[in-house]
Amino acid sequence: MRLALHLVVSCIALCAVRAAQPGMAAIPEATYRPLFRGEKDAKEIPITAFQLDVRPVTNGEFLAFVREHPRWQRSQVKRLFADERYLAHWASDLDLGNARAEQPVTNVSWFAAKTFAASRGKRLPTTAEWELAAGAGFTERDGAKDADFQAEVARWYATPSPAVQPDVGGRANVFGVRDLHGLVWEWTSDFNSGMVTGDARGDSGLERQLFCGAGSVGAKDTGNFAAFMRFGFRSSLRAGYTVHNLGFRCAKTP
Amino acid sequence: MKTLLAFLLPCVLLAAGPLPPCCRPALAAGQPTDKSLYLLDSTWTSDVGRQIKLGALRGRPQIVAMFFTHCEYACPILVEELKGLERKLPPEVLGKVDFLLVSIDSKRDTPAALATFREKRQLTRERWTLLRGEADDVRELAALLGVNYTEDARGQFAHSNLITLLNADGEVAFQHAGLKQDPASLIAAIEKAARGAQR
Repeated sequence: MRLALHLVVSCIALCAVRAAQPGMAAIPEATYRPLFRGEKDAKEIPITAFQLDVRPVTNGEFLAFVREHPRWQRSQVKRLFADERYLAHWASDLDLGNARAEQPVTNVSWFAAKTFAASRGKRLPTTAEWELAAGAGFTERDGAKDADFQAEVARWYATPSPAVQPDVGGRANVFGVRDLHGLVWEWTSDFNSGMVTGDARGDSGLERQLFCGAGSVGAKDTGNFAAFMRFGFRSSLRAGYTVHNLGFRCAKTP
Repeated sequence: MKTLLAFLLPCVLLAAGPLPPCCRPALAAGQPTDKSLYLLDSTWTSDVGRQIKLGALRGRPQIVAMFFTHCEYACPILVEELKGLERKLPPEVLGKVDFLLVSIDSKRDTPAALATFREKRQLTRERWTLLRGEADDVRELAALLGVNYTEDARGQFAHSNLITLLNADGEVAFQHAGLKQDPASLIAAIEKAARGAQR
């Protein structure tokens, strides 16, 4: 009897750890090894367990948000918080026009993404969290060991972004998270922590190492070109920028 | 009690010298423009211990850099460049602009650490504001300015060396990237912004 009770209790405890809220996947505690390695860079970043949306936020979900928060509607938003292209693919403030409700929302600034997340009791994932989840394959936690996954990722990064975004709902990775590759780029809470910048004339030697051809020698995994592209792209952004193929998803500390 | 306070307060202020630009009486509240950084609602703490919103700086152009006091590499040069500007600007311009240093090191840069830095680097209270903020607010301000930063394993931050000029309304008027670059365009932009200053 005691043993049975013990079993039940530990099962409940375990399930509580594993269970994520609907629409989110539980990502267990792990160590993230950043792609870039300046000599003084942190080589391992411990990540505590967190939850991540299984799919990017869609036009439909974002429409509901701007209905609730009129100051984030296209005609109301302050220029500081989103540039002129904010939600440019919608017909008007509250009309998606040709955009479909199930497409990932794009043309949203970091501020808009952050405010959406907060309104849902969530936050944006950190770059380390996002990269950790995105590094997982379809069947292996280490996507580098998953040939199918590698081929899919390479295929997407080699394809120009389509004029019309497909709907969300790609193949789930081992954590149950979809569309980390293959649809849109995504904002992270600390997107500006990458030190690969276009105008790096005076930045410390680190970033020149990263983008010059020889720079990739310092990288952990030279095969992971996709991650190089993401780091370069993120570090070129500013908080008010909106881009036609840049969306977001939310995270949550359990 | 009130009279006593009214008597004591100026004494305290006198003892420490004038208050830095952030902490003087603000302009009457007005609506910030759509591109003004003063739309940010975050709260910052000055090295004199006063809590402010960035909007307190409205009315005078600000020459802004992000830095941290434990910096071993670029920041001393960055701050030295700002001091160089201070020496170069003609007095009539200098009288109308302020310098603003914002720390990216939320953990170590307490108001006291900033005050020590001010003293060591001889940053006058007439012109220099030193601020610290919470990590999320620092990340937000940096993201707006285009300052990228990351903390390395030794607690040093790699960060963009960027000098930003905010006009009197708090809009980004000019940015000067990199160390040891010719400051001529920056100086021209500062002079232009000073002409538009309201106080």
